[in-house]
Amino acid sequence: METNNLVLGIDTGGTYTDAVLLEYESRRVLAARKALTTRRNFAIGIEAVVEGIHLDDPAAIKMVSISTTLATNAIAEGKNKRAALFLIGYDPELIAKFKMAGRLGTPHYAYFDGGHDLYGREKSPLDLPAILTQVNKIKNEVDAIAISSYFSPLNPEHELRAYEAVSRVCDLPIVLGHQLSTKLGSVERATTAALNASLLAVLQQFVIAVRRAMERRQIDAPLMVVRGDGTLMSAEFAARTPVETIHSGPAASAIGGRFLSRLDKALVVDVGGTTTDIALIEDGQVTVSEDGATAGGYKTAVQAANLLSIALGGDSHLRQSAERKLIIGPERVVPLAYLAQEYPQVYGQLKTLSHRLSAQTTADWLEYWFLLREPGDEMLTPQQRKLVKLLRDGPQPLPAILKKLNLLHVGQLDAGDLWREEILGKAGLTPTDLLHVDGRHTPWNVEAAKLAADVFYKFLYRTPEELHEQVWAQMTETIVRAIVSFLTNRELPPPARPKDNDLGRWFFFNSLYDEDPHLESRLRLRYPIIGIGAPAGIILRQAAQLLGTDLILPDHHEVANAVGAVAGSVMVTAELLVYPLMSREGLEVLGYYVQDGDGRSQFDELDDALAYARQTSRKHALGAALQSGADNPQVVLAETADGLDTYRIRAKAIGNPRLTH
Amino acid sequence: MEKIRVDTQQAYNQIREKIVTLALAPGAPVNAQSLADELGLGIRPVEEALKLLIHDDLVVVTPRHGLYASDVTLADLEQISEMRMTLEALSAQLAAQRATPDDLAVLDALYAAQKMTDATELFALDHKFHQAIAQAAHNKYLAQTLDRFFGLSQRLWYMALPRLDFLPAAVEEHLNLVAAIKKGEDGRAAQIMRHHVQNFYDKVRQILSD
Repeated sequence: METNNLVLGIDTGGTYTDAVLLEYESRRVLAARKALTTRRNFAIGIEAVVEGIHLDDPAAIKMVSISTTLATNAIAEGKNKRAALFLIGYDPELIAKFKMAGRLGTPHYAYFDGGHDLYGREKSPLDLPAILTQVNKIKNEVDAIAISSYFSPLNPEHELRAYEAVSRVCDLPIVLGHQLSTKLGSVERATTAALNASLLAVLQQFVIAVRRAMERRQIDAPLMVVRGDGTLMSAEFAARTPVETIHSGPAASAIGGRFLSRLDKALVVDVGGTTTDIALIEDGQVTVSEDGATAGGYKTAVQAANLLSIALGGDSHLRQSAERKLIIGPERVVPLAYLAQEYPQVYGQLKTLSHRLSAQTTADWLEYWFLLREPGDEMLTPQQRKLVKLLRDGPQPLPAILKKLNLLHVGQLDAGDLWREEILGKAGLTPTDLLHVDGRHTPWNVEAAKLAADVFYKFLYRTPEELHEQVWAQMTETIVRAIVSFLTNRELPPPARPKDNDLGRWFFFNSLYDEDPHLESRLRLRYPIIGIGAPAGIILRQAAQLLGTDLILPDHHEVANAVGAVAGSVMVTAELLVYPLMSREGLEVLGYYVQDGDGRSQFDELDDALAYARQTSRKHALGAALQSGADNPQVVLAETADGLDTYRIRAKAIGNPRLTH
Repeated sequence: MEKIRVDTQQAYNQIREKIVTLALAPGAPVNAQSLADELGLGIRPVEEALKLLIHDDLVVVTPRHGLYASDVTLADLEQISEMRMTLEALSAQLAAQRATPDDLAVLDALYAAQKMTDATELFALDHKFHQAIAQAAHNKYLAQTLDRFFGLSQRLWYMALPRLDFLPAAVEEHLNLVAAIKKGEDGRAAQIMRHHVQNFYDKVRQILSD
């Protein structure tokens, strides 16, 4: 049989790293593999899944593409704080007045004279000596420098001059605002530049690690990375614009769901271990958010899929509140069924616990701490060393740890850094364990899950049936609520039996639980839900029912995220701005500028300027798309007037990945 | 498809650093596989980087024995110094004629940085200073040529490093050089630079022949 084009898709999620080997044209999944993600080093999970995929002929692989939560994670971990941000021509008082400094993405920001106005005219001269003095001061304290000048998309001259000068006095990588965004919002542009600068090294190391894993399997194929809107870019492009990978994981899931189901209109719900992500497919495309992507609370100017992500998944921690009420998440823990599989003694410990339950024992006894790895070069406090020594003998329930170390409170363990460095892991009861008990999803130790669940029932004074039903109902309600919020773009108050006069809450509650003696209300989703992720079939069934629609679980839906990593199109956009050249007094239009990245051309007539802009943007987009590995890319032009006689010409070149070398 | 892969660039930077700082000694054999293992990179980017380094004259390939870090001899020193003395002087002369205010701001900043720093970083800053003058000369071929010769002299500097106590004096020469460039005194700038470069090679020659 002739070998068709094979492609390898990889998704590095917060919990799992997935890989699929796909026959591109027929959409046939030939092999799929899952491994646990090590957040400290994504390469470990990637090497494990790539090793695990059966390959007859590595040369048949024509493309490897990867989606990653790396950027989002790095920002959540505060790695963005190692970039310097130079703001040229920004008004410090304005930033302070509107309390925008916290949005800039780094504490190392500084203001300098310079910048342009909304007609691209120099607002005040660039203070280069001050910038260079600042470079000398901070160059050993930061890893990269971002420069954003006021109105730089209209006139990047000050950014370019600053770049030239700064690159001659230090070796730090430098990122310019106008190269990342042509939008005029100055704060978002600065934030985007700062985040991009801080992520450069992170993504470079990632690309290097993936290539090394490929080489070990003798895979020699172009490497692509998924953007936050689900389209693909070459790895080299991604290494320069890592900020564009924000949300690439959820976007890939949505694309994969569409690719496998072949539906042109559907809601995609991906139930992962850590989060549940919701996206919308319309006209066969993932819908893109009008606003820029937000990561770690920072609003950027980067295009991303329209998504809602909630902290609820198969591995959400099940706990009880002080009032003995059930709490699901938001923390993600390792399921006890998995822990007992890895450490058989946990089963014995759980058995003992279930026999000697007393009034003194609490649900904390189901929270296990364990050693994920030996500490390396990290400096540990004496207390941390004691904890690590204790856990070398195996996982321990939290109350037992406190007792053995003669401590009263978990805070005394001083474990913060040990979590961050992924030296310690936490396990507990999760929905995944309850699925083991129900026999619906049983990859790990079922007996341990049963014992743990038994203990938990007793704590909550519930029967197993009551508790299971409550967990699924609570998760369903949270997911339905998220779907309604996502589609209506309206906040829905937390689930509580509405005793007040709010009709919206009554309607939502009644639509879910049908309790009103007189009125029946229903929510109906106009299109099906595509479920993605291993627990999707179980957790989304009821949600789809409540929304009066079908749940579609395409074959291989549990690895749709990895499928989506290869299913996207290669896309490059080129955006040019056309704006008037004003007379000195600002009363007369003397002509038009076309601002083309770093260069600028001048025209007497608007029509000529627009024609030139269309032609140039088309040429740029097409050239870059071919260079990025697009096959026969098609160009779509879009023009918008920004007001004030300013026009934005955007050429989008898009095509399937080219699968021949 | 792209100009240079990120892993190739990384391999190039790291291996080049090893050669110029003499961690890979002149004349030592170069093995792509062991370098790849050591740097945690794939073999392909390492091989690509070695090709670039052969082009830089930092790695040589011999038909029978494979790859070596290129040797440095006193004869090389003489030849490199001849080239640099002439070209650096030309660079300073053109810079005095053509430097823009931005160029001068860069030279000022580099001079300020040199005054604040210690000996190990001083060499990197010295390199940047010479590069900045070449940029201020506004002749890209001159800048490219000088950079190549500078790369070759770097190893001489590391050989002499334990005994280089004259660098602070060289920094003072930089001050005079900046002043001449600022005033547009092209003849004087060329003269200071020639003397500055000659001085460097004289010192290195003396140390290496001891």
